[in-house]
Amino acid sequence: MTDSKYFTTTKKGEIFELKAELNSDKKEKKKEAVKKVIASMTVGKDVSALFPDVVNCMQTDNLELKKLVYLYLMNYAKSQPDMAIMAVNTFVKDCEDPNPLIRALAVRTMGCIRVDKITEYLCEPLRKCLKDEDPYVRKTAAVCVAKLHDINAQLVEDQGFLDTLKDLISDSNPMVVANAVAALSEIAESHPSSNLLDLNPQSINKLLTALNECTEWGQIFILDCLANYTPKDDREAQSICERVTPRLSHANSAVVLSAVKVLMKFMEMLSKDLDYYGTLLKKLAPPLVTLLSAEPELQYVALRNINLIVQKRPEILKHEMKVFFVKYNDPIYVKLEKLDIMIRLASQANIAQVLAELKEYATEVDVDFVRKAVRAIGRCAIKVEQSAERCVSTLLDLIQTKVNYVVQEAIVVIKDIFRKYPNKYESVIATLCENLDSLDEPEARAAMIWIVGEYAERIDNADELLESFLEGFHDESTQVQLQLLTAIVKLFLKKPTETQELVQQVLSLATQDSDNPDLRDRGYIYWRLLSTDPVAAKEVVLAEKPLISEETDLIEPTLLDELICYIGTLASVYHKPPSAFVEGGRGVVHKSLPPRTTSSESTESPETAPAGAPPGEQLDVIPTQGDLLGDLLNLDLGPPVSGPPLATSSVQMGAVDLLGSGLDSLMGDEPEGIGASNFVSPPAAAVPANLGAPMGSGLSDLFDLTSGVGTLSGSYVAPKAVWLPAMKAKGLEISGTFTRQVGSISMDLQLTNKALQVMTDFAIQFNRNSFGLAPAAPLQVHAPLSPNQTVEISLPLNTVGSVMKMEPLNNLQVAVKNNIDVFYFSTLYPLHILFVEDGKMDRQMFLATWKDIPNENEAQFQIRDCPLNAEAVSSRLQSSNIFTIAKRNVEGQDMLYQSLKLTNGIWVLAELRIQPGNPSFMDLELSLKCRAPEVSQHVYQAYETILKN
Amino acid sequence: MISQFFILSSKGDPLIYKDFRGDSGGRDVAELFYRKLTGLPGDESPVVMHHDDRHFIHIRHSGLYLVATTSENISPFSLLELLSRLATLLGDYCGSLGEATISRNVALVYELLDEVLDYGYVQTTSTEMLRNFIQTEAVVSKPFSLFDLSSVGLFGAETQQSKVAPSSAASRPVLSSRSDQSQKNEVFLDVVERLSVLIASNGSLLKVDVQGEIRLKSFLPSGSEMRIGLTEEFCVGKSELRGYGPGIRVDEVSFHSSVHLDEFESHRILRLQPPHGELTVMRYQLSDDLPSPLPFRLFPSVHWDRGSGRLQVYLKLRCDLPPKSQALNVRLHLPLPRGVVSLSQELSSPEQKAELGEGALRWDLPRVQGGSQLSGLFQMDVPGLPGPPGQGPSTSAPPLGLGPASLSFELPRHTCSGLQVRFLRLAFRPCGNANPHKWVRHLSHSDAYVIRI
Repeated sequence: MTDSKYFTTTKKGEIFELKAELNSDKKEKKKEAVKKVIASMTVGKDVSALFPDVVNCMQTDNLELKKLVYLYLMNYAKSQPDMAIMAVNTFVKDCEDPNPLIRALAVRTMGCIRVDKITEYLCEPLRKCLKDEDPYVRKTAAVCVAKLHDINAQLVEDQGFLDTLKDLISDSNPMVVANAVAALSEIAESHPSSNLLDLNPQSINKLLTALNECTEWGQIFILDCLANYTPKDDREAQSICERVTPRLSHANSAVVLSAVKVLMKFMEMLSKDLDYYGTLLKKLAPPLVTLLSAEPELQYVALRNINLIVQKRPEILKHEMKVFFVKYNDPIYVKLEKLDIMIRLASQANIAQVLAELKEYATEVDVDFVRKAVRAIGRCAIKVEQSAERCVSTLLDLIQTKVNYVVQEAIVVIKDIFRKYPNKYESVIATLCENLDSLDEPEARAAMIWIVGEYAERIDNADELLESFLEGFHDESTQVQLQLLTAIVKLFLKKPTETQELVQQVLSLATQDSDNPDLRDRGYIYWRLLSTDPVAAKEVVLAEKPLISEETDLIEPTLLDELICYIGTLASVYHKPPSAFVEGGRGVVHKSLPPRTTSSESTESPETAPAGAPPGEQLDVIPTQGDLLGDLLNLDLGPPVSGPPLATSSVQMGAVDLLGSGLDSLMGDEPEGIGASNFVSPPAAAVPANLGAPMGSGLSDLFDLTSGVGTLSGSYVAPKAVWLPAMKAKGLEISGTFTRQVGSISMDLQLTNKALQVMTDFAIQFNRNSFGLAPAAPLQVHAPLSPNQTVEISLPLNTVGSVMKMEPLNNLQVAVKNNIDVFYFSTLYPLHILFVEDGKMDRQMFLATWKDIPNENEAQFQIRDCPLNAEAVSSRLQSSNIFTIAKRNVEGQDMLYQSLKLTNGIWVLAELRIQPGNPSFMDLELSLKCRAPEVSQHVYQAYETILKN
Repeated sequence: MISQFFILSSKGDPLIYKDFRGDSGGRDVAELFYRKLTGLPGDESPVVMHHDDRHFIHIRHSGLYLVATTSENISPFSLLELLSRLATLLGDYCGSLGEATISRNVALVYELLDEVLDYGYVQTTSTEMLRNFIQTEAVVSKPFSLFDLSSVGLFGAETQQSKVAPSSAASRPVLSSRSDQSQKNEVFLDVVERLSVLIASNGSLLKVDVQGEIRLKSFLPSGSEMRIGLTEEFCVGKSELRGYGPGIRVDEVSFHSSVHLDEFESHRILRLQPPHGELTVMRYQLSDDLPSPLPFRLFPSVHWDRGSGRLQVYLKLRCDLPPKSQALNVRLHLPLPRGVVSLSQELSSPEQKAELGEGALRWDLPRVQGGSQLSGLFQMDVPGLPGPPGQGPSTSAPPLGLGPASLSFELPRHTCSGLQVRFLRLAFRPCGNANPHKWVRHLSHSDAYVIRI
């Protein structure tokens, strides 16, 4: 029969007809009827009225019919829970059927019926099926545990199913292992604390064995699970890598990417000098390149991942530039992604090739793509200094084409090139000015105005040019208005005589006729600056700008490291951590790369804040910043960041205000007027009251600080303690302490020979430790140590040794050898020897970082009975490299805001509240925020040690 | 973990909807997907889309959308791979993948989905394994209809060749009617290569690469062994040397996991027991070093008279294939500057055709014999085109928006790498039936063959 009639429209009697057919005696007829029911169900017709009739067909020995009925049940059981109970008996019976297919089918379907009442009936059959002799039943039962857990987690725990599931990891059938791993991983994600998937060398070994035997889909589960494991040392990491590497040539791209993830993660632990490291790097390139010949969907996903990999380890693909050349028939989203990767791979070696390509792209027809290609040329210039000149001439060629959108893009990127290489390519300004009239996009206009303002002294008719923009001031977008304001002020400061009128005009336009608060505030700031102290204004406005670099479009390292852990997942496509798009906290455990063997590079560095919101230097002038290619411009729109301290602080106050920071009271809040102006004074009534205040008190704050920075002595040194008693070391007694002076750490040792024989041949070695402390020089004991002699040695240390997390964190295991034996001892070092000299964070950065670190990472501590007042606390801490960034007084209590940085780049931010306790003692309340919260405890101890001694 | 899977027709109607995890949202999700897809801005990727915390991943296959949704951070690669496997599987089981076959076989599709995915975890996608579980039989479409040309797949759809397999032969269900003895024992083997080339405007070759695969579609009883002999001079990697000649060299090879390679090193023979249905036996790629000359060279000359707005393009296309070979369905696509209004043409032979459309020139050459040379002279009017200023009124510099030219073509019985299948032997004893039919085909076609002007 032709079955298209399943889809004929519902006639009135259809349900009745089906009912009759379902109750027919003939098996074939029943089967056809159920099929019809299912077809109706698919197109969205309500056939739930047939529930009892369909359930009646369930008791059959025909497997095909049974499957169809089960399919129906899964769909409608939820809406008809009472009816579903009717089916329970059959399910339970089917779970004991001699046919394994039926047993598995029953347990699978029961798990899919999400009705609470059914779950209790499910437990017994499930328990049996988990121990079934047939692997097909066992693997189905394993998944069923996950299903049941989702419906009723408590029940699963009470019934002990989790333990049975764990046992299945050692099952002889790889398919069962894979499903058990998948189920356990999922259950573990909803209980981050539980130790369900107890990964240890033994279980890892089992998984690696199963990896070779199971299906490609099972391999993905297992590889993803492996990626969550942290090997105990580099040898283990290497051996896992060796066993995972063959997966790179698998035909299934998901297997390949999961393997890449494991390798990228474990590579962190391998030393770069290792031969194996190089081999591994070489092996990673071909599978990634192969992915680019897949269909566009896969290509796109692969390119997003390669983008991350290239940022983390550019060496992997540095020779593969050609594969990223854009194909004529690539979809646009693939083209743009390739373009981005080309820039990331651009280097002096291949820049000529890249530029030639980009120039070709810039002449294509697709407008979006052409724009991006022009921007890419600018990024090349900024990234590869040697190519800047060629890039500029390429851009000039493109401007000559007079194609409107090409010209505008080119001007935007040339402005960035000026920012990177000031005073080098200004000869092109004349050409740019020729195109002034054709610019109609805000970004291009703003860029052009910036150029005119910045180089006003070299453009004869700069005032005319800017004046021409001023005519339609109110029709311009905010971006252009802000830029025009700044440019005219710059012009005025450079050519004050001719342009006084112009600047008055723009200031009054910005402050009086505009209702945009950003514009008004910036107008007032300039106005006050100019009226108070034109010399200072010059220093502020014409301050040398920090150079921009290509780093602006890189993903922030912490985020990048996290994303590397998520290679081959949706996070790697969105370039966002999973917490940003997975709801309900499932699977959002933060992942981080294992510590590197040479950890001199920082794992956390707030200097490069998240790309989405660089703190401080960005006013919220430009609305979106999602696109990396568009980023470079934004830097300039914020106030200048460097310059004389006075200027910087006051302008930044404004910035803080505009950002609406919750912490802005940090800057003090007594209103304080600014001296009378002898220039043009702004209408006083219009000055927002809060504007004057932060500027004034900002200044005084700053002076407070500088007075605190005075004496730079070494940090606190604890008295020597006995580390190795003589009785444990055959007469050698070692006592010692740690010091930090002017950036170098040393271990001051005192060796005493309490034995009766002479000691010689001293040597010292450290076990791997949390911060990579290692002797920077061998232990030098010049003369043999005769009995009862004591020698004092200062052993210089560095922090480039191997890293392994110790418990406690500051534990150091030391081995000392002499001619008699080798002795071992362990000691705890005070954390403050690791506080580095440049641990003073910029104020803006501090605010942003403080907000950026989640509150869970905040730790509170009490330090009682401290004999010092705020000033003394601040200077005492400063000598141990804990820097006070700001200070304020709230209701008689002093608040200090401090920062410090560890040798491995981890920043710790602190808020210290000082309140009078006993008459002469203070009680301190310390809140620490850090991205690696485990250090907080030790930082607190360092504080206590420094302050109490 | 996959939350839902659905198949939509090209118009967005749901054909199949399956929910694996009791997610809320129900079937509205399918509609939501279609709305999102059609409303997406041009430069955004439709591959991975999300709405709140529901993520959509889809592929398009035979005019259908196969969509998977998830709410977790799982591997998009595994979803994409799974979807394309499902497309193959559904094709294998239902005969071919299409709106009609899917709606005819709803019950079968659901049964398959239940075995492939449990609670959103992929269980298996191997035809062989699934055979043990699948009960429903496919409802086959009418035997063969002239109107059913849409189902002509790659296999058996030989273009203009003397020996033609019946075009419906390959589009039948793998599993249909176990009782049906009249079924033919057939096997189709295709060596397909995709050629990407990029030639600079000065004629130098910037990039060339070949992606090849050997694909097999088998209707043999499972368990029968098959041996595929490849060219003996086949070398893998830059350093290997085989035979006396230059050899057939590829950079990278990967094999399907069911291929036994014990005779590969010595005799270049692949041994396998193919499961029913489609299978990619081997994939390979080579770049930069092509053993034979490129199939086409284009010699363009452009004359651009800015004063009169007249653009003259003279294209000479030389086919460097061996004289006995030919290229089919050759089409040259040349983007033109904006605002081109008219075209006059002089073509070297009558079967060619050229026309303007969508801002580009399309030049169709149905058949190009190896060694031949064809030419076309095209004159166009381009009013108001801004040309490079500062140069004379008449200059030969091409105006903006012209080029690059791209060629698409098919090369039957030709592989760019030179790889050939020497033999296909079956260790299979026909049970009363005729000898199995073996169809072996070689084919190259263009992927992106771009010549800059």
